[in-house]
Amino acid sequence: MLSTKFAIPDVIFGRGAITHLAQCAKRVGAKRVFFVSDQGVEDAGWVGLVKGILRANGLGCVYFNEVNSNPRDKQVQKGVEIYREERCDVVVAIGGGSPMDAAKGIATIVGNGGEIRDYEGANRIMHPLPPMIFIPSTAGSSSDISQFCIITDMERKVKMSIISRSLVPNISIIDPQLLVTQDRSLILASGIDAMAHAIESYVSKLASPFTELHALNALKLIIANLRPAAEEKDIEALEQLSIASTSAGMSFSNAGLGDLHALAHALGGQCDVLHGWVHPTLLTSVMRYNLPSRMAKMGEIGRLISGSDIRSDQDAALLGIDTLEKLFAELDLNTSLRELVPDKSDLKHICTTATFDACHLTNPRPASPEDLMSICEEAW
Amino acid sequence: MTSGTTLSDLIGIEHSKLGFFQELQQTINELQESNHELEDQRREIAAIIDGITDVMMVLSEDLQILSVNNEFHKLFPEGNPIGRHCYELFRHSGGACPECPAFRSLSTNTVCKETAIFKIDGCNRQFEMLASPLKSPTGAGNRVLIFKRDVTTEKEFQAKYYQAEKMVTVGTLATGVAHEVNNPLMAISGYAEGIQRRLKKHGDSMSEDVLREFEDYTKTILQECSRCQNIVSSLLNFGHPETSVFGFVNLNGIIEETLNILGFHLKKSQKLTLDKALCDDLPLIYADEPRLKQVILNLLTNAMDALEELEGTIMVRTMKEGGDSVALEVEDTGTGIPQDIKDRLFDPFFTTKSMGKGIGIGLSTCYGIVKDHNGEITVHSVEGEGSCFRVVLPVQLDK
Repeated sequence: MLSTKFAIPDVIFGRGAITHLAQCAKRVGAKRVFFVSDQGVEDAGWVGLVKGILRANGLGCVYFNEVNSNPRDKQVQKGVEIYREERCDVVVAIGGGSPMDAAKGIATIVGNGGEIRDYEGANRIMHPLPPMIFIPSTAGSSSDISQFCIITDMERKVKMSIISRSLVPNISIIDPQLLVTQDRSLILASGIDAMAHAIESYVSKLASPFTELHALNALKLIIANLRPAAEEKDIEALEQLSIASTSAGMSFSNAGLGDLHALAHALGGQCDVLHGWVHPTLLTSVMRYNLPSRMAKMGEIGRLISGSDIRSDQDAALLGIDTLEKLFAELDLNTSLRELVPDKSDLKHICTTATFDACHLTNPRPASPEDLMSICEEAW
Repeated sequence: MTSGTTLSDLIGIEHSKLGFFQELQQTINELQESNHELEDQRREIAAIIDGITDVMMVLSEDLQILSVNNEFHKLFPEGNPIGRHCYELFRHSGGACPECPAFRSLSTNTVCKETAIFKIDGCNRQFEMLASPLKSPTGAGNRVLIFKRDVTTEKEFQAKYYQAEKMVTVGTLATGVAHEVNNPLMAISGYAEGIQRRLKKHGDSMSEDVLREFEDYTKTILQECSRCQNIVSSLLNFGHPETSVFGFVNLNGIIEETLNILGFHLKKSQKLTLDKALCDDLPLIYADEPRLKQVILNLLTNAMDALEELEGTIMVRTMKEGGDSVALEVEDTGTGIPQDIKDRLFDPFFTTKSMGKGIGIGLSTCYGIVKDHNGEITVHSVEGEGSCFRVVLPVQLDK
């Protein structure tokens, strides 16, 4: 039997948990914090809050916000230069996946040298990283939990997956209150990203009882809370979504993902679209493709999503997929791949690239570029 | 691209979050080792520095003492010198000495040497100074390393050497002079005695007045010849110091004899008055007579030189100094000594005299001789008013 592993950071959870930041930073030896975020989080006022907390506790702070929605290799390099110039000691990031992944990339090079592309793949990081404390402002990417870091190589137009236990942050501070400043579309994009994490990791080749538990818990919470969270910004629902995202993160960080994320990474590298918007277009198609390989699990997912108790796994699974499609339509989300990739001829390259992605490895059903192409055709 | 990645890579059983522990431990070990090495080096350097028998100081650009070695504490056992100025301790003055080699060393970025006499614990000590610049790479906070070596004894030996050399020359000259002068003196006194004998034999045939005059003249000639022979004998004594030994001598007597030698020169100058105030009951001292004579001779010569072309007085005094010393003072009303060269007076070859008048070993010789007698020579001088050299000699010595 294949042994499995389950690694997560220290998780500090609760409304107002952000107030523990300075204490945590000091605990890991901070004197001068390298603080990463982006314009969106800045506009919501959270950057000012973090700066204030650090200042009030006598900690130096060097702020870096040159981060795109898909963080780029050059931006990472820029951050590294500033980190070294300013002689920082601890990395703090607040935001969605982009600032956190950028922060992971910066920490990787600070600790190991070289360029970020040197670490593409699994377990290429050989030296320790500076301590990292992440505060997610979205309930989706779970970069604050995971050992994944996704950076775009601008030259090759590829989103690189960098996977290492060292990329699991030291501390994740999850404060659901931060979610209230998000707009509807961001709540949906990140919520569906978390849903994709849960579904893909649940059926992944590396799924284990430890990850399955979290995947199902995440999926259940997302189905129940996504709509009230997005439509009403109900704080209770947002909090549940936050828990769901964290659970999904614990699951996918240890079990891996699948071809949906492999395709999303390839597509993101090529077309620079928001990661969360890729899932409504491809998720159901990938689920249909994977169905034959994971009939029982897909049935379970289907029952969870549809709320029905159909006996047949296949029927339940298909009902679940239909329910999802309806949900996306009701939420007025784009489900057509054509909207994201206007030029169909790009798809071939995207599908080939996806087979090289680390997420492709854990997809339950083997897939050739042609198989992926058929998935994309269906989603077109 | 991640084509080489496998499922077991993703599980990564053997990979875990890397910590700094080993690296830190290694660094701590390395630091500890290097700390030990540095400590050993520090001890070694400290031992070397404390083993240096020269006084060593590190000074700031404004001559503030930053650190000193053990030898320094031997020289100035009292108080902490750190933060004080170099010139305060060595010169008791409020400003840097004009000849200070530290400034020269810093401005030229070279090692500079200088010799000076400092008065330490009331005694004149001669030091050879060596200043090395310790320039900081940024240019701010330059320092200078000073070595001061006490060369008093060396200089004394050097002075003795010059003295011995001079004595050999003077001795040779004196021997020659003695021969040359003795022969005509013998002839003069012989003929004068001959005349006296003739007077006794043929005096009757002469008139009484002429006979008395001849008798007086020949007597005077013989007396003067005898005096000349004494002077020649003094010169001979003076020229052969190796034959002289320490003995009980009367300082006043030595002064009188020396004045006899100089008598002609003293009388030659119309403008010069010589005054004596010799203490009547001066105790005998244990001394080397010819060498003491040379001290007096040198002091008198210097006094005469200081009065050259001027009307003035040379005063020679002796006196009792407490119960166990006698003092000799030679004072003139000459030009005096400028303040800035006062400290260098006793330096060998230091001279203010014009070319051909002296080579500057007179006072340094005096200094050496007086030191040999366990005495002290000092000078008090006011520029334009005159100088007074004072020699204090102990009465009894355990020799």
